Amino acid sequence: MRLNLENFTKCFDGTPVIEGLNLTVEDGEMLALLGPSGCGKSTTLLSVCGIYRADGGRILFGGRDVSALPSQRRNVGVVFQNYALYPHLTVEENIAFPLTVQKPRPSAAEIARQVREIAELIHIDALLGRRPAQLSGGQQQRVALARALVRKPDVLLLDEPLANLDAKLRLEMRSEIRRIQLETGITAILVTHDQVEAMSMCDRVAIMDKGEILQIDSPTQMYRSPANRFVAGFLGNPPITFLEGRTGPEGRFSMEAGLTLPLPSHLRGMPSGRPIALGLRPEHFGHGGQGQATGRVTFVEPQGREMLFDVQAAPGVTLRSIQPTRDDVSIGDEVTWKVDADRMLAFDAEGRRL
Amino acid sequence: MSSFADPIVDGARRARPVRPRRAPVSRLGLILMAPALLLLTLFFFLPVALTGVFAFTDLSTSTGIGRGDYVVTPTLLRQLGDKGLSDTDAEAVARSSVTVDAAGLARARAAGVDDRFLDEIERRFMGRDYEAPAGFVRDLRGLRTAPRRPRDLKSAAALFETSVLNQRFATSQALAAQLEAMAPEIAPAVRARIVEASFTGARFTTENFRTLATQKETARLVGNTFLYVGATLSLFNVGLGLFLAVVLFYMPKGASSLFSTLWLLPRITPVVLYAVMWKWFTWEGGFLPILADQVGLPSFNYMKGSVVTAWATMITLNGFIGASFGLILFSGALRAIPLQQLWASEVDGASRWQQVRRIILPQMRWPILFVTAYQTLSLLSSYEQIWLTTNGGPGRTTSVWALEAFKTALSNYTGNLEYGMGAAMALVLVVVGLALSLIYLRLFKFSELVGRPKIEI
Ligand SMILES: Nc1ncnc2c1ncn2[C@@H]1O[C@H](COP(=O)(O)OP(=O)(O)O)[C@@H](O)[C@H]1O
Ligand SMILES: [Mg+2]
Repeated sequence: MRLNLENFTKCFDGTPVIEGLNLTVEDGEMLALLGPSGCGKSTTLLSVCGIYRADGGRILFGGRDVSALPSQRRNVGVVFQNYALYPHLTVEENIAFPLTVQKPRPSAAEIARQVREIAELIHIDALLGRRPAQLSGGQQQRVALARALVRKPDVLLLDEPLANLDAKLRLEMRSEIRRIQLETGITAILVTHDQVEAMSMCDRVAIMDKGEILQIDSPTQMYRSPANRFVAGFLGNPPITFLEGRTGPEGRFSMEAGLTLPLPSHLRGMPSGRPIALGLRPEHFGHGGQGQATGRVTFVEPQGREMLFDVQAAPGVTLRSIQPTRDDVSIGDEVTWKVDADRMLAFDAEGRRL
Repeated sequence: MSSFADPIVDGARRARPVRPRRAPVSRLGLILMAPALLLLTLFFFLPVALTGVFAFTDLSTSTGIGRGDYVVTPTLLRQLGDKGLSDTDAEAVARSSVTVDAAGLARARAAGVDDRFLDEIERRFMGRDYEAPAGFVRDLRGLRTAPRRPRDLKSAAALFETSVLNQRFATSQALAAQLEAMAPEIAPAVRARIVEASFTGARFTTENFRTLATQKETARLVGNTFLYVGATLSLFNVGLGLFLAVVLFYMPKGASSLFSTLWLLPRITPVVLYAVMWKWFTWEGGFLPILADQVGLPSFNYMKGSVVTAWATMITLNGFIGASFGLILFSGALRAIPLQQLWASEVDGASRWQQVRRIILPQMRWPILFVTAYQTLSLLSSYEQIWLTTNGGPGRTTSVWALEAFKTALSNYTGNLEYGMGAAMALVLVVVGLALSLIYLRLFKFSELVGRPKIEI
């Protein structure tokens, strides 16, 4: 079911946390709400499911305005960050809970059938007799997911569902959640501050900062073509390096510290003397291109398959490069590596993409 | 499996058992703890132990706590008569005889009888015995120096009488010897019983418990105590406490803290003031009776005027004190439920009532049990509010075990405080309390509650 937020506004104690936010999640789509902690992701999510009342704007489920409905009548499934399982109920009772509070209450056999069905989908049919305290974090999360889905909700909301898991389980649950979402075809919003989660699990990503959505795009498109400096800086690990400087003559860019690089070709016509920032991703340094930079290697971080190098190209200017693991460069070496100038991202003084 | 084996067995199997080192108890630590231990002994164990000891005595105001004497009193004879002493034996014990001897003369002299009269008695009758005082009086009347008034003559004669009655003997042998001399016809077994019964000091006995087990009053007291504890606990300490906690939980913060403070008032008001307030509230001319009068309901002293209203008053006034305890405890437990659990239940479709019924209340099991356990014990042993209000009335219809124990031992109208009986009643309370504590601990499944969750990640 398609989900719309129109001019959605939410205030706490009179101060707006989110103002005039617009967002559309297409039917069957999984959208990530990505942003740093405190930017208003959970607030948005809790307003969609009706725990918070919107202070302005409308929330539409399939074109139907639900803004005034209490959460009981919105038919959303929510997975909370700490899973919020009912500790006194067994796994089976937890999953059955949304069905047993329905009016009229379905027959016991019908409830059991639906619980079993969802438990099989989520691979927890062996755990039905246990209590939440007897489950691992990953198992608890599966139960929370099953409970959220058993009622066949119109929308599935997940608030930082992987934050409490260790690295290995996180990887496993990432694909599990996506699989279940695809199999059920449910419209879903995933709230996360982890770009890898957002990019790997979702059809589209909405980047949020300070209560505002900065850009909505597919993960690849957003990475390749961020709308502004914040988005460029937020996506990418290891992160992009920003170089502050001015445009120079002959389509070049120069920094006060002494480093000069060619501008991306579409900007070569810019008048000189303009303050701009160039963003250089580590994978575009040391892999070919028209520009080049020379400097001393100050740090090497082996990551197994790849290696991360910090190169001091000028006083106070450190460029970062990621390359397939190699043994011929070590700390203190002087290197001259290519810079793929055309793939550098340029931003004006206000952080807008040029 | 071997790694889970009993460490002692496991250790014994190894060549060198690895024993966990005990932390040595430092002497300084013991010294520092000594005052606390001393106080604990003094104020906790000692009273319990003394109660235990007193419970098996017939200690009372009349026995005192000093060493007793052996005295046969007319009252004792009557009591023995009730228990089967024959009238002839009783008369034999009560019999008095007259002997003119030095001791009698000395007694008379000390009592201020005329010396010339005494000299004449000594000259004429010294060493003589009379079976009955009447013969002696007749003889005395014949004396020249005898007092004119018959009353003086009689009282002088009485000073020569010896009788077992009302005489104090330091030892049982002395009394037995005297009895044998005065009433040799009494069988030795009967005599022993009389001597035994004549002891005025405290004695060790299980009589208190036998009385408690057999008297009719006990059943009534037990029933009353059950009703009092059960009703106060379920209606107020748990029921009202839980109701208020849930209501306040859903109220805005400011209002809820104001109301919880209000409910604390009965607890922090001094008990005497609180009792007086209730008197104003329920006595004739008090708030409730006046109100009832206005609307045409029966108006009388609700606290003492009828059994039903006395019970209602007593349970309510005790309940309001206990409700705040439950309220505070339940409120804390409610706030400990993660907010997201409640959110989850709401998006799962649960109405407020379903949320309370299905999510909140089941998680209050532990605090409910705790309040029940704790308040049972304190209600069982508390009596001061009842004492200050209904005082067990009307009649003894609202009296409970603790109040009765207190009255028996420390405060009653007859003035004979039966410490031993009171201690026995208190001991019953202690034992019941201990038993209940054990049962409650089992019910809590304490180990299960504090056990660590079995999480494997
Ligand atoms: N219940 C609340 N009362 C007041 N302020 C809140 C409340 N919940 C969140 N906020 C504020 O709103 C902002 C957004 O919070 P939130 O939506 O939780 O951020 P996040 O993106 O980390 O989920 C934060 O600045 C937070 O302090
Ligand atoms: Mg959050």
